[in-house]
Parts: sequence; structure tokens; C-alpha cells
Amino acid sequence: MTEVIRFQILEDIQSKGQEILYPDKPRIAISMATCGLAAGAGKIYEVIKKEVKDQNLDWIITETGCIGFCQIEPLLYFHFPGKPKLFYGNLTEKKARELIKALAAGDIKQDWILWKIEDEESIINEEKYHLGKNENLKDVPLYKDYPFFAKQLKIALRNCGFIDPNSIDEYVARGGYSSFYKVINNLKSHEVIEEVKKSGLRGRGGAGFPTGLKWEMCSKEDSPIKYIICNADEGDPGAYMDRSILEGDPHSILEGMLIGAYAIGSNEGIIYVRAEYPIAIEKLRNAIKQAEGFGLLGKNILDTGFNFNIKIVKGAGAFVCGEETALIASLEGRPVDPRMRPPFPSHSGLWGKPTNINNVETWANIPPIIARGSDWYSSLGTEKSKGTKVFSLVGKIQNTGLVEVPMGISLREIIYDIGGGILEEKKFKAIQTGGPSGGCLPEDSINLPVDYDSLSEAGSIMGSGGMIVLDEDTCIVDLAKFFLGFTREESCGTCNSCREGLDASYDILNRITEGKAEISDLDLLEELSHVIIDFSLCGLGKTAPNPVLTTLRYFKDEYIAHIEEKKCPAKVCRALIHYTIIPDKCTGCGICFKLCPEEAITGKTKEPHFINSEKCIKCGICLDSCRFDAISISSGDL
Amino acid sequence: MRIGVYVCECGINISATVDVEKVANSAKSLPNVVISRYYKYMCSDPGQELIKKDIKELKLDRVVVASCSPRMHEPTFRVVLEEENLNPYCLEMVNIREQVSWVHKDKEKGTAKAISLVKGSVLRASLMRPLEKKKVSVTPNALVIGGGIAGIQAALDIGNMGYKTYLVEKTPSIGGRMAQLDKTFPTLDCSACILTPKMVDVAKHPNIELITYAEVTNVKGYVGNFKVEINKKAKSIDESLCTGCGDCWENCPTQYRAYLEPLEFKAELKNGEQVILDEIINKYKDERGAIMPILEDINDEFKYLPEESLKYVAAQIDYPLSTVYRIATFYNVFSLEPRGEHLINVCIGTTCHVRGAPKIIEAIKSELKIDVGETTEDMKFTLEPVRCLGCCSLAPVITIDGEAFGNLRPDKIAKVISKYD
Repeated sequence: MTEVIRFQILEDIQSKGQEILYPDKPRIAISMATCGLAAGAGKIYEVIKKEVKDQNLDWIITETGCIGFCQIEPLLYFHFPGKPKLFYGNLTEKKARELIKALAAGDIKQDWILWKIEDEESIINEEKYHLGKNENLKDVPLYKDYPFFAKQLKIALRNCGFIDPNSIDEYVARGGYSSFYKVINNLKSHEVIEEVKKSGLRGRGGAGFPTGLKWEMCSKEDSPIKYIICNADEGDPGAYMDRSILEGDPHSILEGMLIGAYAIGSNEGIIYVRAEYPIAIEKLRNAIKQAEGFGLLGKNILDTGFNFNIKIVKGAGAFVCGEETALIASLEGRPVDPRMRPPFPSHSGLWGKPTNINNVETWANIPPIIARGSDWYSSLGTEKSKGTKVFSLVGKIQNTGLVEVPMGISLREIIYDIGGGILEEKKFKAIQTGGPSGGCLPEDSINLPVDYDSLSEAGSIMGSGGMIVLDEDTCIVDLAKFFLGFTREESCGTCNSCREGLDASYDILNRITEGKAEISDLDLLEELSHVIIDFSLCGLGKTAPNPVLTTLRYFKDEYIAHIEEKKCPAKVCRALIHYTIIPDKCTGCGICFKLCPEEAITGKTKEPHFINSEKCIKCGICLDSCRFDAISISSGDL
Repeated sequence: MRIGVYVCECGINISATVDVEKVANSAKSLPNVVISRYYKYMCSDPGQELIKKDIKELKLDRVVVASCSPRMHEPTFRVVLEEENLNPYCLEMVNIREQVSWVHKDKEKGTAKAISLVKGSVLRASLMRPLEKKKVSVTPNALVIGGGIAGIQAALDIGNMGYKTYLVEKTPSIGGRMAQLDKTFPTLDCSACILTPKMVDVAKHPNIELITYAEVTNVKGYVGNFKVEINKKAKSIDESLCTGCGDCWENCPTQYRAYLEPLEFKAELKNGEQVILDEIINKYKDERGAIMPILEDINDEFKYLPEESLKYVAAQIDYPLSTVYRIATFYNVFSLEPRGEHLINVCIGTTCHVRGAPKIIEAIKSELKIDVGETTEDMKFTLEPVRCLGCCSLAPVITIDGEAFGNLRPDKIAKVISKYD
């Protein structure tokens, strides 16, 4: 096979993919990633299938990944040939049925449309695919003007929600595998590495190590066997961008790994993925099979003599396995103890061979960098943090979802412009970034630009991109306790400082939330935190006290309120709160009386009820069930 | 034969949990019993006088005292008998304090146990013969059977006191279970760091003679004068010349084993389990270090990891059992306890936490009357936390058998669970 013919094949697939992606028949694609399914997309899919069949419509019904705006799931788009793509959200089975009926009758239900796409762009080949225009839809915002998406730039998430993750053709249609073609036909391995280095891409898993440099170290090792690993053991609670990419665009990972393998000189790839992500595993398996079918994986890839295989290994739910050396131990079937570095995995990793490990999001960034060039990529972001980063914007925020923004954007833009502000118009209190290894930033850091260095200066970290918005109802001490509870359980126990230190810190925090601490405990807590950081081997212990240290730095008054006034300002810490019924508001409906698991509520029907504070376990069921706002929580007043 | 029975109240030590009056009365009907009494403190002077008076007046020849441990007051009561010219060995003591009242809460059961113990002792007392004291010589040597950490420490303690000690061990090396462990509970100290210096001490100790690869086949004699037969297995080496270089092990044509051979254990599998396990193990036989996929498959198959299956896997894939345990107990997905029919996973990711997951957990706990990590008695539901399902937009979220329920409130829990009941 000559190069010309090979490229011809890619173009063939590309045009075939475009026919599938933009068919001459109406097409409906339903977001069916985990978040969509949890919101009920599975049933909606069935309903739509049935409805389309019942009405004898010659429509194409497919699934797609998560477009990022999880708040409005279940979500689908409808595309009539020659017309703009229309997105409908917050579906129910009833609404879905009604929608199909209306669409079949030619009514596009204008009021239900969230946004439209007239020209679909591909970040890889810069091509615009003109879908069509509809003059009647002037009031419907374009996708790129819709507030949630307007400030986003999707590179890693470029295909999520746009293609069917089960289809390699659709991936290729949007420029997929063209970067790998370019690499294998036109570039030498050191040129690839140079390009990645120049792009300024840093590891998206948390630590932010320059990816090109990592590749270079591994490529210089003289070994016939080298391993490429994709770290998909996404363990940070509150971060799920890796899952979204794996579920919505699995081929982007395979392509990234292929390029990495070619550059480094590896023939074996492993994707280490959480067992808690069954859909991601299924999509990956399918994608690997397809890529093998196209001769993109396996022996003598595209007749170039380059061999590369990828296998999937399931993790079993251990946070520390995200750490490189622990992950390798787990792959080798050893107990997961992180080890001292050096030797770095790039020198001696899996089975003692040079090994290059990158995170899912990092791999997904590789094909666009190759396609558009390092100059383009490094023009995005800030001086030291290039490109874009995906954040999972969650917590007490209006628009929950995955957002991909250029580095350097301010927290304010993310929270208010994209996120739409705080839920129920409550007061913004803090934003937690970086998961259990990160920190809480207070209101006055809201203008902080989001990049690796600014966040670390403020005491937090970028981490894997979790961004949890907290409002006045979140207790900072309780949150610090939550994170320590997490890390102390996930500590592997190798280092005394981490194993015992986190336990001891947790105990102090527990005492604070129970109102049993003394003011001197705060100094002890701080000292202990520094000891844990200084004497722990791996990233888990070195960062675990961050939530404590940042909250002590920015929210010390809240700690003091717990200790001195025995008061939890956010009314969360159970030992310090009391539930009471406001007699004037209570109608005596008896719902709380019925639901109280401890029989702590007494009262006659149609008369105000009372809570027996000795029996009350403060579960809050009464508060949630009362329809008259008659239950109040107080703290520190009794 | 004339037996007297004396039940002690020991203040409230015994009487709080044992109805002493009932015990005393029950003994009255036993054969040969002439008198049966209870008293506040049998060991006190008035108590002793009571027994003395009865021996004299009722001509008792056997005495049964139901009180504390013989270690405490056997000498006291032997003196009582001696002073009344009775053979002191015609005394029988029943320990209804350490063995009954202190270890039981239920008075009814405690009383019943005391009655039965007293009955046994009365019957035994009627078989007693007067004994005479005599002196015998003692061989001041000790023998410790079993070279595990306990045996090693015992041998060292006795040896350090200056007595000749023999330490017999069945396997070729001492060390036992502890040599199989990586870390020790609860401090997670390095096991080998504790064990190996002691092993060396034993080997070098002038007072300790190590007899490995040998088994005790017979023990005869009595305290101070035991005769023990030890069967030494063939080692075919001259121990006085052997330096322990290990060359013979390396070159042995018939069998090669590591020097610290693990103790043998056998997995007790239920019917059909072995076939399933073999199938799983075979699937991964060509993969290096495939312990994780094997355990995951077993976990999928049985919904948990049966302990016996771990032993089987360890033996089949030639892994130390301790390593298999460490792996099996470290990951959140694995459980060594059987799980119920339906698995409820509560997401305790950060978003779910701040949006009310702790309240959801409380609601499930009170609905099912189980704690986190437990299974209902009818084996219907198991409640486990999970570290973030990645459905943060729907927080708080739970899944039941993989099906997700989002935007939950505590008062909705009962309804959700009832779907599976």
C-alpha cells in the first residue's frame, strides 16, 4: 500500500461517516451517558423507538454522549436534513412521546427548543458543515451563543454529545484518526514529541507535569518493551470528565494513545479504568474492536510495520490507584503501595519496563494538538498553563455539568456566566477545587484566573478538575471532615504520617463538629497537617491535608464558632443543631409524625406538633417532608 | 460416705448472678450429701468455723466448697480439713465465681450452670481417696511444642531463665504463621522485623535446642518427669557440620521448595464452586499478575469473595495467601461478607455530600434497620457507600442493582426501596 492509497481510505471513511452523521433522513440522537441514563434516558430511548416504529417513520434513532449540560438531561437532538439541529431537554416519557408526534406532524415545538446548531464545526479539521437555516427560529439561541456554552471551547470534549460513541465512522467524519495518519505518514517520533512539548500541554490528571517532557524521557529509554497506560481510574469524588470522554468519545483516547505509542516506541497499551464505570468499559471494548477491524490496532498497522495493542484492565475502587506507582502495582497484581520515585515509571515502570502514564483528558487533547499544531494550542490559555481544561461544575449551582474552558478564565465567569449562579439564589460561600487533594477558596478569590499556578498560590490545586460550588448552607468544617474521612479511608497505610496523621486529624475535626474541641486544637491540627505533608511518600498523603489548611486559612472564624460558641453557622453539624416546630406555622397535618423514624414527634391532628429533642436524631426527614416550612433548625441558641 | 456442701455468696460477687440458696438446696438431694449450706463469705473465720463445726458434729468425710477459683482459697479450706483431722485432699472446690457469676449476666442460666457444676463435684467427691504427700525429683528442662511466634517467645523466656529448653517444630523452619504475614495488627508493624531477630536468637541461644522437621508422637509421665517421644523426619544431614548454605536445596533433584515453606492450608469449597473457580482461573492463566481480574470475576459470580475461594485461588496461582487477603480487603468493590439480593449503593461523592447524602444514608439505615456495609437479616438488601458515580447533576444519588435514582429526598427512600421488596 502506498501512502496515497492509505490516505484515500481515510477520506473514504470520512465521507461515509458524514453520510451517517448527517443522513438524508431525520435523525434523533439521545444523550445516553451515565448521567443521561440516571436521569431516565434509557426509558426515553425505548419510548421514542416505539413511537417512531408505531408511526412508520423512516427516522434514524441513535445514542450520543454527554454534551456536558447534565442539568437538563434527559436530552436529545433532532436533525432534519437541510435544517438546523435542534436540542430538546428535560424530557419525560410523556414529553418525548408528544415531541415525536409533533415532529412527525411537522411541528418542531418551538417553545421546547433549548438551542440550535446551523453550522457544525469540527475542532480538528476546522471544517464547517452547514446544516441549514430556519428563518422562523430567530428567537432560538445558537449553540455557540447559549450562555452555558458561549464561553466554552471544547477540545477534549469535542465529540461528546455530537457523535454516536459506538460508531468509528462518525468519529472519523469529524476528523478522527487524521492526526494519527499525519503522524505515521509524515512525522518522525521526535518530531511528534517536539510538537507536544511546544504545545505546552500539562498532565490533566492533577499534578500538571509537562506531557511532552514525560514522553521524551520515556522515548529515550533503550528497551524493546515499553508500555503506554491510560489512567482512567478517575477517583476524585465530584469529577467525572474522564467518564464522559470514555463514554462519549472512546476513539479519541485510542487515537491519542496510538500517537503516544508511535512517538515513544511502544507496542503495548493498557487502559486502567474504574470498575464503577461499566458503560465506559463497554464503549472502550467496542471501540478497540472497531479500531482493530480497521487495522488501526494490532500488528503492522496500515502496513507501516508499527504494532500496537490496547487492553483494558478494571480497577476496583481504590483512590490511591490513581497514583502512578500504585497503579502499576495494581496492574502487576501486587498490593497497592506507592513507592519512592526515582526510579520514575518512564525509566522503570510496569514489569520494570519504561512506562508512560497519562490521564484520559490528556490523551484526548493529543489529536487536536497534532492536527492544528502546537502554535494553535499554545495560543490558548495563559503563559504557563496552555490550552483548555475540563471542569465538572457541580454542587449548589444552577447549571450543573461539564465545562471546558480556556485556562485563565476567572472563577466568576465559570460560576456566574456559565454556571448561572447559585441554586435558589442563596449566598455563594466558597468553591472547592481539586477534589480531596484540593482546597476551598472563599468569595474574595472569585476573580482568580483559573490556571495551575494561580490555584496553587491560593492554596488549592487544579487537580483533575472538580469544581464544587458551596453556598451558605454548607458547613466548612463538615466539608473538611468529609474530605479527610475520604482520604483516611483511601490511605494505603504505608506511611505512618498519612495513616495515623489523617486519623488523628479526623478525630480533631470530629470533636470540633461535636462541639467538644478546644481552641488549642486548631494549632495542633495545623501542625499535624504539615507533618503529614512533609513525611508522606505519595501524592495522596502530600495533599490530603489541603482541605484542612485552606479552610483554616480562609474560614477560621467558622472553626472558632464551632469551638467557642458551640455553634454551626451553616446548621449542618448534628451535635450542634436543634430541630423545632414553629407552632404558628404547623397545621398539624401529621406527615412529620408519620415519617419520623424515632417517634420523636408528638401532637394531635390539626394541632401544632412538638419535637422531643431527646429522642430526635436530627435526620432532617421532618424538615424535608414539611409542606408548610414549619420546621426550623437552630444552632448555638439553646 | 458423708459429704458436706458449702455454697459461698462472696458478697454480691456470686449472689448477684447465682441464686445460691437454690444451688445449696439442689445439692441436698444428691447421694451421700448430709448437709448443704450457703453463707455470705465461706473463707471468712465464721465461714470456716461453720465447716469445722459440721465436720465435727455431722462426722463429714468429704467437703465440697462452691466458691471461687482453687488458686484463691483451696489452701485455706485444706487447712480447715486438716485442723479437723480430715485428709486435706478430700476437699473438692467448685469455681462458681470466675466460671459462672463473673462471666454470665442471666441469673437463671447462671444458677442452672452452678447447680450442674456442684452436682458434678459432689459425684466426684464420692470417688476421692485420701492422699499422702511425697517428694519426687524434678528434671528442670522444658519442652516447647510448635515453633511459631508464641513457641519461639516461650522458648526464649524459659531459656533466659537458665533452663535447658527444647523447641520442636513440625516444618523445616520455625516462624509459623507470622512468617506468612506482611504486617501485624493493629499497628501494622512489619511482621518480619519482629519475627526474624527472635528466630536468630532461638537458633543461637545456648540453652535452647532446636529440633525442626520433627513431631512429638507421645507424651508420658507427670509434672517434672515427662517422657516425650519425638519423631525426627529424615534430613540426612549432619547438623553439626551444616552451615545452612542452601546449596542442597537448590540442587535437590526430587523436590525444590523455598526455605520458608508456607504452612499448608486447604480450601473447603462448596459443591460446584471449584468448577467455577477453575474456569475463572484458567481464563487468566497466561496473564501475568492477573489476581485483580480473577478476584473481580469471582466477585461478579458470587456477589462477594467467599473466604475459602481466596485460599483456593492463592494455592492455584501460587500467591501468598496474605497478599491475596491484602488485595481482597483493600478495594472498595470487594467484600468478604455475603451480599444481599439487592445492592444499594449510596453515592458519597462531594456533591452528593453537600446536597444531602448523609441524610439519605440515615433514612435508608432507619428504613432497613442496618448500618452501612451491612446486609438485612433476610438477605434482601446490602447497603454500601460508593465514591462518586459521576452523576453529580442528580445529587444526591443512589443506585439499586445499578439502576440510578437521582434528586432524592429522605422521605422518598421508603418508596424507592419498596419497589424491590
